Amino acid sequence: MSNKELRIALAGNPNSGKTTLFNALTGSNQFVGNWPGVTVEKKEGKMKGRDGIIVVDLPGVYSLSPYTLEEVVARNYLVDERPDAILNIVDGTNLERNLYLTTQLIDLGIPTVVAINMADVVRKKGDHIDFDGLSKALGCKVVEISALKEEGIDDAVEACIEATLKAAESKKHLPMHSFSGAVEHALAHIEEVTVHNLPAEQQRWYAIKLFERDTKVLDALKLSDETIAHIEEDIKACEAELDDDAESIIINDRYEYITRVVRKCVKKKNASKLSTSDKIDRIVTNRFLALPIFAVIMFLVYYISVSTVGAWVTDWTNDGLFGDGWHIAGSDEYDAALDSYGNEMLFENTELKDIILSANENGVLGAEELNIAFADKDYGAFTEAYGSYGEKLAAEGFSVAEIVDPVLEGEPSPADYGTWVPGVPALFDKLLLDENGEPVVAEWLYSLIQDGIVAGVGAVLGFIPQLLVLFIFLAFLEACGYMSRIAFMMDRIFRNFGLSGKSFIPILIGTGCGVPGIMASRTIENQNDRRMTVITTTFIPCSAKLPIIALISSALFGGAWWVAPSAYFMGIAAILISGIMLKKTKAFSGEPTPFVMELPAYHMPTLGAIMRSMWERASSFIKKAGTVILLSTIVIWLGSKLGNTGDGFGFALDMELENSILGYIGGAVSWLFAPLGFDSIKAAIATLMGLLAKEEVVGVFGVLDFEGMSALEGYSFLAFNLLCAPCFAAMGAIRREMNSAKWTAFAITYQCVFAYAVSLMIYQVGMAFSGGLNIVGLVCAILVAALIVFMLVKRPYKAKNN
Amino acid sequence: MDWIIENGATIAVSAVLLVIVGLIVFKMVRDKRRGKGGCGCGCGGCAMADICHGKNAKNEK
Repeated sequence: MSNKELRIALAGNPNSGKTTLFNALTGSNQFVGNWPGVTVEKKEGKMKGRDGIIVVDLPGVYSLSPYTLEEVVARNYLVDERPDAILNIVDGTNLERNLYLTTQLIDLGIPTVVAINMADVVRKKGDHIDFDGLSKALGCKVVEISALKEEGIDDAVEACIEATLKAAESKKHLPMHSFSGAVEHALAHIEEVTVHNLPAEQQRWYAIKLFERDTKVLDALKLSDETIAHIEEDIKACEAELDDDAESIIINDRYEYITRVVRKCVKKKNASKLSTSDKIDRIVTNRFLALPIFAVIMFLVYYISVSTVGAWVTDWTNDGLFGDGWHIAGSDEYDAALDSYGNEMLFENTELKDIILSANENGVLGAEELNIAFADKDYGAFTEAYGSYGEKLAAEGFSVAEIVDPVLEGEPSPADYGTWVPGVPALFDKLLLDENGEPVVAEWLYSLIQDGIVAGVGAVLGFIPQLLVLFIFLAFLEACGYMSRIAFMMDRIFRNFGLSGKSFIPILIGTGCGVPGIMASRTIENQNDRRMTVITTTFIPCSAKLPIIALISSALFGGAWWVAPSAYFMGIAAILISGIMLKKTKAFSGEPTPFVMELPAYHMPTLGAIMRSMWERASSFIKKAGTVILLSTIVIWLGSKLGNTGDGFGFALDMELENSILGYIGGAVSWLFAPLGFDSIKAAIATLMGLLAKEEVVGVFGVLDFEGMSALEGYSFLAFNLLCAPCFAAMGAIRREMNSAKWTAFAITYQCVFAYAVSLMIYQVGMAFSGGLNIVGLVCAILVAALIVFMLVKRPYKAKNN
Repeated sequence: MDWIIENGATIAVSAVLLVIVGLIVFKMVRDKRRGKGGCGCGCGGCAMADICHGKNAKNEK
């Protein structure tokens, strides 16, 4: 063993805890999801603390039949590469179903150790498993583990090594399970005729598979027609005797054997009583309650993450850490000083009052906010509204800059009150400015650092608290078992429209990042359904889109409770509507993929597991901000300073955005977005840069200032950016999964057109209701809505020969 | 020489910034070559990481 690496394969049913055990054994941090199908490919890792042991995590399978992708991956590895030992993870709460695979693994002739996972849950239920009895009945070592709590794992690995060494010595395989006489007779014949030249321990599995007429094995063994005809006689004789087909005979025989073993080795305390999980499921997956419960849960997740807990901390990171700074003590004194300064310098000014009132009467964007803040004598709200809409007012001939700007310049410094901690920009100021407030470096460099990098990267990083809260919720929902219920529930809804619930698992994964979500679609066997899932997966808001939602929600809707949850439900609706529409077309028609899944028992996840999952996602976000986003902000800053200076092409710090390179690029495409309400150069640039990484939408506004959008325009902008083509990385994943340039182009085009249609409807209908009716725009929006309704109700495509 | 002394701070800060940008570009190119680049979304933690970033990815290409 010292010269050779020992390979231990982890095999088991989906969601039995293989990846959790793999992580515990190897110390790696592979993604663990409490729903089936999380692992599709096998993964290898060196065992921590033990040299020479390689652990291979196989996808979860119910059997070794080569029907699904997971089964093919697991079976090919076990049969072709033959690991030294198999550690079969068995869910102790569901022995009957799990042992079916165990009997097949044992037949492979590879030393196998059965690890009963979740034994603590079994004990808690009051059930008793006779491990020795089970070991004798199965003919292999049986150990008890808790992968989650990392208990019993060393014993399981020791048992694996022991079993491997024993098998290496004896080279003999004795199956404990015998089929009925007729089957054993046929198997003996098949072994003798076809596989007698194979190693003894492999003969039985091949014989069983030949008996089952497994086409993959028939192809692999390259048997002559004569031999096949010969064994076919044996199989047919057995089928006639037992009055069933060969595959069913083997399946029934295995289950009868398992029932006998379980009856002998497991004592159930309350066999007929419903478990706690079953009781919860009676409510959570109830036909009528499931959807409202799901809506309430996801509403709370997004509301709490974006509008409450997350927003409170984000306000501090945006205004404090990446803003001017924050008070540890003395903020009340400062607020009082600011209020009295505002009263004295601003709110007594009748000229200012008249201009704002007049602007408000003329319906100038932002004047209402300024007017309310003025009437309330709220200095903070007034300066914020001025920052957002000051230029808009000036452009409409209601400039208040001459009155307000000097007041802003002379306002009391927060650093003079209480204990003040400067923010990151202030720290950079300390490094880059001299005592007179002049930069010690060239002005362009100061601007690049402060207005470009710090503002851009800071704008993105400022949303981390909201992301952390969202990640905690998502990790909890995944780990406790609720996410599986969503897929189950969605299957019920999807199936009514000819769609498969299997499409929903990639979408659940896509909530973190669209790329693995798109990759996960490969578990869908039906090509049409797979393509449809690839197209629709990125409609669900990924974590990179959360900052856009949070920005629009806080800046334009004052953190309204409904904005963030509506973005999530918009994604779900887009998936459902697109799915139904696409399914009606010839290219996507057909029966939906069958979806069978086991609902795992609910369990309380450990704090460590949730924190690990949260950190895994958050650290990636931070790394991205420090790399792609940082470089992008430099490019944005440079693009906004290079352009037509009046004397030709050149660099100017005070370059008007319209004259810069960015201005030309944004201006060239901004007209496209005019019917959607956001035809400004900044919004166009933000949308384009979002293709690089969706966080960059917020980064662009950090560098170029976010201003001048109405709430309706902002929501339309949000809808378009949530639903349009994803980032380049996700587009690459679409390209890989589609494996066709034509289909990739269709997917991207469909996403953009769909996003455009949704934004158009939101903006034009919204305008009609808010008094800004545009007849042409509204007619277009109604036509688009009518087309969507037509596609939804139209009869599905049916092939002529059907 | 005077110019260098006058602009010493600018030169030093620019150099630091250039090194940072250079390191980021270097890391991104290296990651891309190793098949780790692209998504920047924690692919290491993804169940399907092996497919796009593992041996299989190289074989496919």
